[in-house]
Amino acid sequence: MAISAATKAATDALAVNRAPVSVGAQEVHRWMQSFTWDFEKNRTKYSTKYKMANDTKEQFKLIAKEYARMESVKDERQFGSLQDVLTRVDAANRVHPKWNESMKVISNFLEVGEYNAIAATGMLWDSATAPEQKNGYLGQVLDEIRHTNQCGYINYYFAKQGQDAAGHNDARRTRAIGPLWKGMKRVFSDGFISGDAVECSINLQLVGEACFTNPLIVAVTEWASANGDEMTPTVFLSIETDELRHMANGYQTVVSIANDAAASKYLNTDLNNAFWTQQKYFTPVLGMMFEYGSHFKVEPWVKTWNRWVYEDWGGIWIGRLGKYGVQSPASLRDAKKDAYWAHHDLFMLAYALWPTGFFRLTLPTAEEAEWYEANYPGWYDMYGKVYEEWKARGCEDPNSGFLPLQWFIENNHPIYIDRVSQVPFCPSYCKGASTLRVLEFNGKKHSFSDQWGERMWLSEPERYECQNIFEQYEGRELSEVIAEGHGLRSDGKTLISQPHTNKDGKLWTLDDIKKINCVFSDPLKAL
Amino acid sequence: MSIEVSGGRRGLTDPALAATILAAIPDQPLETQRKMNYFMTPRGKRINEYEVLCCYTQPTPDWIPGGLDWGDWTQKFHGGRPSWSNESTEMRSSDWLKHRDPAFRWHALYVKDKAEEWRYTDRFLKAYSADGQVRSMDPVWRDEVLGDYLGAFGFSEYGLFNSHSSVVRDCLGDTLRMSSAMIGLDKVDNAQMIQMERTFLAKLVPGFPESTDIPKNEWTKGAIFKGSREVVQQIWQETYDWNEILFSGHMIYDPLFGQFVRREFFSRLSSYYGDTLTPFFINQMQLYFSQTKGITTDMFHTCLASDEAFGDYNTRLMHVWANKWLPRTITALKDFMGIFAKIPEIQGVTDKPAIEAALNRVFDDWKHDFADPIGYKADTAALIKTVLTGLK
Ligand SMILES: [Fe+2]
Ligand SMILES: [Fe+2]
Repeated sequence: MAISAATKAATDALAVNRAPVSVGAQEVHRWMQSFTWDFEKNRTKYSTKYKMANDTKEQFKLIAKEYARMESVKDERQFGSLQDVLTRVDAANRVHPKWNESMKVISNFLEVGEYNAIAATGMLWDSATAPEQKNGYLGQVLDEIRHTNQCGYINYYFAKQGQDAAGHNDARRTRAIGPLWKGMKRVFSDGFISGDAVECSINLQLVGEACFTNPLIVAVTEWASANGDEMTPTVFLSIETDELRHMANGYQTVVSIANDAAASKYLNTDLNNAFWTQQKYFTPVLGMMFEYGSHFKVEPWVKTWNRWVYEDWGGIWIGRLGKYGVQSPASLRDAKKDAYWAHHDLFMLAYALWPTGFFRLTLPTAEEAEWYEANYPGWYDMYGKVYEEWKARGCEDPNSGFLPLQWFIENNHPIYIDRVSQVPFCPSYCKGASTLRVLEFNGKKHSFSDQWGERMWLSEPERYECQNIFEQYEGRELSEVIAEGHGLRSDGKTLISQPHTNKDGKLWTLDDIKKINCVFSDPLKAL
Repeated sequence: MSIEVSGGRRGLTDPALAATILAAIPDQPLETQRKMNYFMTPRGKRINEYEVLCCYTQPTPDWIPGGLDWGDWTQKFHGGRPSWSNESTEMRSSDWLKHRDPAFRWHALYVKDKAEEWRYTDRFLKAYSADGQVRSMDPVWRDEVLGDYLGAFGFSEYGLFNSHSSVVRDCLGDTLRMSSAMIGLDKVDNAQMIQMERTFLAKLVPGFPESTDIPKNEWTKGAIFKGSREVVQQIWQETYDWNEILFSGHMIYDPLFGQFVRREFFSRLSSYYGDTLTPFFINQMQLYFSQTKGITTDMFHTCLASDEAFGDYNTRLMHVWANKWLPRTITALKDFMGIFAKIPEIQGVTDKPAIEAALNRVFDDWKHDFADPIGYKADTAALIKTVLTGLK
């Protein structure tokens, strides 16, 4: 159209219609796919054996400004609730102490996952070629910053308003002392960011988010609220509203590689490894946090696990991807066995190592023991009996000179750490499926607790070289390790971690630990 | 009472549950230190909310300076490359976690601002259209300049946006990572605003082409953006060092090329061509530019150039990078001068003295804000002279 004619047309158009006009987000988004251009060196900095298709679309058609609007509406609601009514009713001081402790771990460890997901989706934004797919990952980058801040906000809120700030106020520093941390890094940190970009997407989105985010974020809100905590549901349910987009990103990642020949060769192996990696940590740790970290129970973990991991994820979600050649992971059956006993085994070890935590742990009460036995027949003979013995020997009392770790040593039950998952296990005293496998490589011994991790290590040992806490602390006395890792409260004497949450119970100090003279050794050296 | 509770009973409101819970809570709080991250060094007098929510979320071991963790990575790239490593950049730091966004924006504050900008943009466009302001726009300016060249500039913003992906993956600090994602999002927002303006014009001006085809052709094949396209491609895809990506994009290319194009060309000239629409969008971009400047000067000047142990080394490296990226940016500007032959000349506005004055403003600002603080000497008069040789 000639220029002058266009001007006249604009004037004529206005004469006919003076209604205000704006531009919607989707009217901009529909041009996104054409924002990129071809040039010689246009390629990703992160190699992947898969090829992501150039025309991959995204489901949620957001632009930067609309994203911001949507999120800020959610923020107003969430922070409004926290700062207004929940503060006025002193909600942080109406949470069961056991749950107050669990949130030190849950919120901080979830924060690690959220934080690493920023970097992970940065990598995927780089790897994708289609601008819409890049845009989907970009939205997730920003979401994960949001979630990092939100998880931090929970610890911040509990520290400021709650009954025991220690651990909430310094989790980012003291978390590195104990036995749960390195395993957390494997699943929620390095597993998301170090590897083939698509493999990382499978870890993060297809397994981490689609499979374990539901139990982690949704189930945790039910346990929280039963135990008096309304802060966590307020924040976590708001996080969950973003997760749908992330699962869609994971789904689109698979769609984008489905036509690539590499997919039929590698996709199911990568999925199986990712599933095993994530479940190896989350199955026991989540079960332990829920059941042992609460007073009021919602349902046995094994039921939650079967519903969400086995049926919803392994069945429905993976089923939907079946048309792209995705199969249910071969390791799902072994995982199902873990879902019954692994968290009971892990709690025993975590409690034995309680001084290295940044939270207080509590042994099951008589009514809890009954609940465990009813839901996990055989529980008492394996665990309940031992806990009674520990209690009788004064494990909660700082004057007793007894740490449950001694029980393992006295009874010749060495505790090992699985090199690949970094999860501790005691092969001679467990009901879960852990078995000890030891391999030597480059003059160093490595222990493993299952065939899936061992296989991953055998094919790529250079990816799993990380030393474990026993190798790191070997020869060092426990109180030294705690002091160096800042495991003390603000009085400079009392431990952050404690073996009980009894309000009248005495608190352990660093001196109480020092008196016991517990020196770390590396069990692999004894083999 | 059974300890298994079903039916969504809530411990806060259910009297029986609440009684059990309250009985278990200690009479006095067990800890008096209630400040989260109390151990950290704040930028200002006190630890602020941004520092509480962002700082030390990065889980790096202490061999990456600033990290609080110990040991190795639990899983590495195929072949054994570490998750994060000091080798990802040539810059060195005593503390990679030291950076702060001077506006202390964590996620909620960042999206709140942008959400307000969006709501206001929507209201502004409605008022602008109902007011019929588009009638006053010079048709050549509208169809040639906004249709083609503003659209083409959107690709520069989009390419710079994409240069942030690997920075978000690779950088070594939490506040660095969050800031980089935010300034990256602002760049795609700019590209989207440019398309938004074009879509808006297409709604008001029958026949105005909304499609990105013509601008993309201009960007990929035309002479005016040849130099800038090459720089953007190099920053986006040829540069692996995450600090160099940020430095080349935000300390050299954008403060010179981006500033000239946005502020001295589109924003300054638009009013002369009866265009009251473009400045509305450009001014949002200018807001993002100034916020980004706060962020990247904090990274490079406040943190890296002033680092107690490595400041001198880092400053020397910045000079090396400036020597590398400045000539390319000058070429980009020189190519862009070709645009003045495409628009109706206005005395004192688009003639050579006016262009030279505009270039002087941009180079003065750059020298003051970016070059002087690191002692980088550049003969700006000579650089401007080179740029002006591009005038047809
Ligand atoms: Fe998240
Ligand atoms: Fe997510």
